[in-house]
Amino acid sequence: MDGLLEEFGRGDAQARAESWRYSRHALRALEQQAFAAADGNAALPDALIERFDWPQTRGHRLVFVNGVLHAALSDASTSGAIVESDADGARTIRFRGKGVLHLVFVNAASTAPSRWNARLDIRVESGTAYLAEQHVGTEGAGVLGALASAIAIDAGAALKMVTLGDLPTSASLVRCNRIALADGSGVDATHALCGGRFQRFDIDAELAGKKARFDSRGVFALRGREHVDVHLNVRHAARDTTSDVLWRGVADGRARGILHGAITVAPGADGADARLETKNLLLSPHAEIDAQPVLEIHADEVKASHGATVGQLDERALFYLRSRGVPLAAARNLLIAGFCRTAFTHIEATDLRGPFEALLDAHLPQQAGSSE
Amino acid sequence: MALLKIDNLHVRVAGKEILKGLSLEVKAGEVHAIMGPNGAGKSTLGYVLAGREGYEVTQGRIEYDGKNLLELEPEARAAAGMFLAFQYPVEIPGVNNTYFLKAALNAQRKARGEAELDSMQFLKRVREKLAVLHLKEDLLNRAVNAGFSGGEKKRNEIFQMALLEPKLAILDETDSGLDIDALKMVADGVNAMRAPDRAFVVITHYQRLLDYIVPDFVHVLADGRIVESGDASLALKLEEHGYAWIAQRKLAGAA
Ligand SMILES: Nc1ncnc2c1ncn2[C@@H]1O[C@H](COP(=O)(O)OP(=O)(O)O)[C@@H](O)[C@H]1O
Ligand SMILES: [Mg+2]
Repeated sequence: MDGLLEEFGRGDAQARAESWRYSRHALRALEQQAFAAADGNAALPDALIERFDWPQTRGHRLVFVNGVLHAALSDASTSGAIVESDADGARTIRFRGKGVLHLVFVNAASTAPSRWNARLDIRVESGTAYLAEQHVGTEGAGVLGALASAIAIDAGAALKMVTLGDLPTSASLVRCNRIALADGSGVDATHALCGGRFQRFDIDAELAGKKARFDSRGVFALRGREHVDVHLNVRHAARDTTSDVLWRGVADGRARGILHGAITVAPGADGADARLETKNLLLSPHAEIDAQPVLEIHADEVKASHGATVGQLDERALFYLRSRGVPLAAARNLLIAGFCRTAFTHIEATDLRGPFEALLDAHLPQQAGSSE
Repeated sequence: MALLKIDNLHVRVAGKEILKGLSLEVKAGEVHAIMGPNGAGKSTLGYVLAGREGYEVTQGRIEYDGKNLLELEPEARAAAGMFLAFQYPVEIPGVNNTYFLKAALNAQRKARGEAELDSMQFLKRVREKLAVLHLKEDLLNRAVNAGFSGGEKKRNEIFQMALLEPKLAILDETDSGLDIDALKMVADGVNAMRAPDRAFVVITHYQRLLDYIVPDFVHVLADGRIVESGDASLALKLEEHGYAWIAQRKLAGAA
């Protein structure tokens, strides 16, 4: 009985089993519940609306409640985006020239467990599009959301993207970005995943056109029994393509993190330059992080570097800070936050960095006192 | 009364005895140089004074400013005016230098019951001190020591010392790896801070630094204890004869 695995997994049975190895139990536990269809018309508390009603994105914001577009809260008139929907409710957002869009996905809980599925595709046809995607929710019986996005970047176009997964403890979210990059195009994305009961995020990037570039930055900061599973699959399929992946993971309490990073350089993708670095920090003896690097090269003149580490707070750095007078608890917080912030250097808009840092501050384990 | 009084200090690191009965007294206003061969235990002494974990004191005591130093956490020692300039300053990516220094200074001030500095007051003070060490202001916006050159790291240590205004500063081989210009900047930074109520312990491997920071006392640390003490001329003799000379004299004395 692996209904959810059937639904969310991709590829043949073996590929599914392998890819969901560390999260199968989490899925099975979710499956024990009887889900109702989540209510797309659920009323939202003001406090929740305030979290995404950023003044600077009024006029270029779309809000989805349990996967359903919320007309009253949405206005994309100044976004430069063309929003199309097809018969079965899937949407495609097209950008031509400069575009700026804030996408909000609300997981609105009800009195019984509920779930939603949505499909939102993005196509950047020319110029540079800026996208901020935010996931929030309300606490309740638990919502399981699933969002699939095909992201196509046409020749010479670019997408700069930030996503914030900031979920209440009862919410679960399964996301998939399937990115296709044409000649000379680029995606530069930064992600933060915090909170929730279970989060799975698959990022597939296919560098299909020559000189395409893919940058991925991300952080998860977990505590309690949170479980986050990130799967990155970068495939270089054309000449002179570049990928640069840098992620950070932090787990406290009994949290579980998975950071799978795979790079494939396909035959013919000569001159590829691929870099993948993940570093992870365990803050508790009961927390667990699996960092799996995979590197497959089938082309010539390839530059590839690849590293994944799981460790603890650096004792030397901690002592250095304390020797300057910073108390132990503050020194630990400073180090943990600093560790995560190294993944935020690609966020260009300073007004977007704020929400990222605020999210981290709210979710990083607060080391009150020095006893442990 | 001595600011620092180390009495018969024995220290074990990773199961091995490194300091074996070290005694030293430092009064306010004095500059002491500690010289000695590699592996003698100089850095160990600095770490023990600053309170690093894993440096186990098995015997002896350290009195600092009338307190039992060994009972204090590293941050409490810093607030009480202890400062260690590291031989190998630690790189901390992601932690902003300004943020760190302000947190450190204000934590110290708070612990001493002084008012915390606001951003304006803090920056004013920072700019004054940067100028003395010829450090560029962009250093403030970088991460702590991350990507700094060897010389920048050492000057940054002295800059931090200038900012935190300690009572007792221990400089662990701050001169090693510096060219002569950087060495002079470091010496200027230290000399500008010499004061009747402040003391320095300057650990160095070479006599060169002591041309610029002239010490009141020179001690030779070998095999875990002070084996010879004298005035500044001792450093010159050491330079001339090497550390083997001390060992020979000790043997001759024992015979
Ligand atoms: N953390 C440590 N673990 C194991 N051995 C150490 C450690 N720190 C120092 N030592 C040993 O202690 C001795 C003294 O080292 P140190 O104090 O660094 O000497 P110095 O600074 O005079 O060169 C050396 O033999 C060194 O190998
Ligand atoms: Mg040393």
